[in-house]
Amino acid sequence: MNQSLVGAPRLLRLALRRDRVLLPVWVAALVLGSVSSVQATVDLYPDAASRAEAAAGINDNPAVVAIYGPLADVNSLGSLATFKLLLLGGVFVAMLCSVLVRRHTRLEEESGRAELIASTVVGRHALLAAAVTEAVLAAVLTGLLTALGNTAAGLDAPGSLAFGLAWTGLGLVGAGVTALCCQLTASTRTAGGLVALVLGAGYVLRAVGDLSAGWISWLSPFGWATQLRAYGDERWWVLALPVLLAAATLAGAVALADRRDVGAGLVPDRPGPARGRLGSVTGLTLRLHRGSALAWGLGILVLGAVMGGIAPGVADIAGSAEVQDMLRRTGGGGALVDAFLATEISFLAVAVTAFAVAAVGRASAEETEGRTESVLATATSRSALLGAVGLVALAGPVVLMLGFGLGASLTYGAQQDGVGVALGVLLPAALAPLPAVWLVSGVALLLFGVRARWATLGWAVLAGCLLLGQVGELLGLPAWVVGLSPYGHLPRLPAESFAIRPELALTAIAVALLALAAWRYRERDVG
Amino acid sequence: MQRDLAIEVHDAVKTFGRIRALDGLDLAVRTGEVHGFLGPNGAGKSTTLRALLGLLRIDAGTLRLLGGDPWRDATRLHRQLAYVPGDVSLWPNLSGGEVIDLLIRLRGGDPAASRRDELLARFELDPTKKGRAYSKGNRQKVALVAALASDVPLLLLDEPTSGLDPLMEQVFAQLVREWASGGRTVLLSSHILSEVEALCDRVTIIRAGRAVETGSLADMRHLRRTRVRAELLGPMDGIASVPGLHDVAVDDGVLTCTADPEAINDLLGKLAGIGVHGLTCSPPSLEELFLDVYRTPATQ
Repeated sequence: MNQSLVGAPRLLRLALRRDRVLLPVWVAALVLGSVSSVQATVDLYPDAASRAEAAAGINDNPAVVAIYGPLADVNSLGSLATFKLLLLGGVFVAMLCSVLVRRHTRLEEESGRAELIASTVVGRHALLAAAVTEAVLAAVLTGLLTALGNTAAGLDAPGSLAFGLAWTGLGLVGAGVTALCCQLTASTRTAGGLVALVLGAGYVLRAVGDLSAGWISWLSPFGWATQLRAYGDERWWVLALPVLLAAATLAGAVALADRRDVGAGLVPDRPGPARGRLGSVTGLTLRLHRGSALAWGLGILVLGAVMGGIAPGVADIAGSAEVQDMLRRTGGGGALVDAFLATEISFLAVAVTAFAVAAVGRASAEETEGRTESVLATATSRSALLGAVGLVALAGPVVLMLGFGLGASLTYGAQQDGVGVALGVLLPAALAPLPAVWLVSGVALLLFGVRARWATLGWAVLAGCLLLGQVGELLGLPAWVVGLSPYGHLPRLPAESFAIRPELALTAIAVALLALAAWRYRERDVG
Repeated sequence: MQRDLAIEVHDAVKTFGRIRALDGLDLAVRTGEVHGFLGPNGAGKSTTLRALLGLLRIDAGTLRLLGGDPWRDATRLHRQLAYVPGDVSLWPNLSGGEVIDLLIRLRGGDPAASRRDELLARFELDPTKKGRAYSKGNRQKVALVAALASDVPLLLLDEPTSGLDPLMEQVFAQLVREWASGGRTVLLSSHILSEVEALCDRVTIIRAGRAVETGSLADMRHLRRTRVRAELLGPMDGIASVPGLHDVAVDDGVLTCTADPEAINDLLGKLAGIGVHGLTCSPPSLEELFLDVYRTPATQ
């Protein structure tokens, strides 16, 4: 065996042992999510006529294409059954692989455990090799099991294989990009942020490409997943693209790893100031979130500008003469544009909630890693500490949503009736879903208030809301279960008109959750 | 409540699931003393300190800290104390200087008016490094500088020197002496016995969540055997019959034994009769006291 890989098999076994819960739960959730919604679609559309009716209009709806990608084949049952899953599920596969690689490389270095391992008989690249191998195994396993499951649920086998392998490809890209990012910085958190930025940019590129010039989609791994055309006329050679990208990023990671010390990043730590200006827990908390908030803010501003930029043109992709005719009669392309923007904003609200859940998760890490103890041993009250976390988790989304509204208004307004008019429409539209964001953030804060380690469950809550909104109705769940997700209760501006009652109701629930969280946090043990 | 007690713990119980971390602990720290808090890993030292900081709520018993309730009055009391945790965790992307100034301000102090620069020099600590770049000992120095630079009447230290090198241990000991000479109180949790012996006026030894021994070192020594070594001029007639002597042995005219406090006088009388040309009596070291306490089974 190559000297630099000595010990890798043993480290792989260690990684699998450590992930014995995490890995099966993620893989099972992805596979079952796919199979159950495929099964539901098959039951829902028994004949070709009903399918054609359902599929018609999907590719003509820019809002849908931007979020999910186009249908590979409007006449294919498989395409109809899986088009919502392909990219959104693919994001989760890529995230799974990214988490695995970070967890077993950079996080190990940051915690000092890698040093312990490096002192034994293991090669220089053994940790990286073990982590990437585990991620590849997870991606392949998820892809193959999904292919089997979809086939069993009644879809054609080649299409199911292509669908599963499209997920695998996104997983491979996630693993490779993460391996590379983990070499650049000494901080696991920063590495994770870089990966999220790359994946987010890929998703947006694909959306822009699908709505304007098709070649732009080919620049994105998510574009490759749709261009594989699972359940359509499969283009198997496209599978080579994610494999090549993963191999290239991995080779880059190995080359960079050879040029750095264990524990260090490629970008060295600069010395900091000898004196500090921080003087309160609020200042400290804002400082800790500065980097990620800036990255989120810039990313969302750019996203808004891109979406606002393509919005006026989306009516044109509604290609067929009948649709154009219908649009003219029902209020013109304007309604289509409004629907597009409203859909973008409602999805963004879910994404922005991730910022809040991450902020609460960070407070949890502060506590479990022992730093909260140092802060609470000073004259800082628990209310002040929780207030600072709440400020980031509740006000952060407001700023981010405004950032989207601003970015979209600048580019949309410039093409239409002016930026001022656009701001008047899009800023309120961007703010409308905030009560749902606060409610989910409130749940995360309450979980943190009860027990620090429970804050992680906030991610499960957010994923559950996303899932309910996406496939709740398809799976035939009762209305009250689908209604558990707060996002569906709010008016979707600018396509719908504003309604004050759901806004107030959800805000009131969020306030109640915050009060509960504050009460539990004051009463519990810390550390 | 006694007015001269900075810390008063009575019959404190704290359980974590099935583990009883504190099992009826008593602890009294007088104002103005350096109090050693001794016990091996897992005896409940850190749990006690965290309960005194109001981070944990005890299940039974009473806690008083500077005349207040650590749980209810946490914020007010924390203006009057500084704490150094046993395992110092710093923010990875904040510099040591930023953390020190932050902690001083959070305690209500002003870094510019504090001794921080003097302390940084004495500990030879570079404040411009980022948190993730410090070694264990240097992380501890950051917390120590922030604590010692705060002008407060009470210092709570949880194994503060476990990562320091011997030179820095001396600097630390000197600083604690200076601190305490101003009439301020220190509770020093440790398992480094020489450090406690050198710094502390009184000591509490805990074991499995209970205090098993408390008092001044002198008092504790009084209750223990003295080690005696005598070079005899003649045969050791009748020494073995002195009550209260233990481990008696003679090798090449040298007598070694340990003596209960009440046996010392009789022993000296006998030795004077035999004649000696060398005699050393050493009080038990803290280490011996400690091991002695731990060797006997817990009386519960």
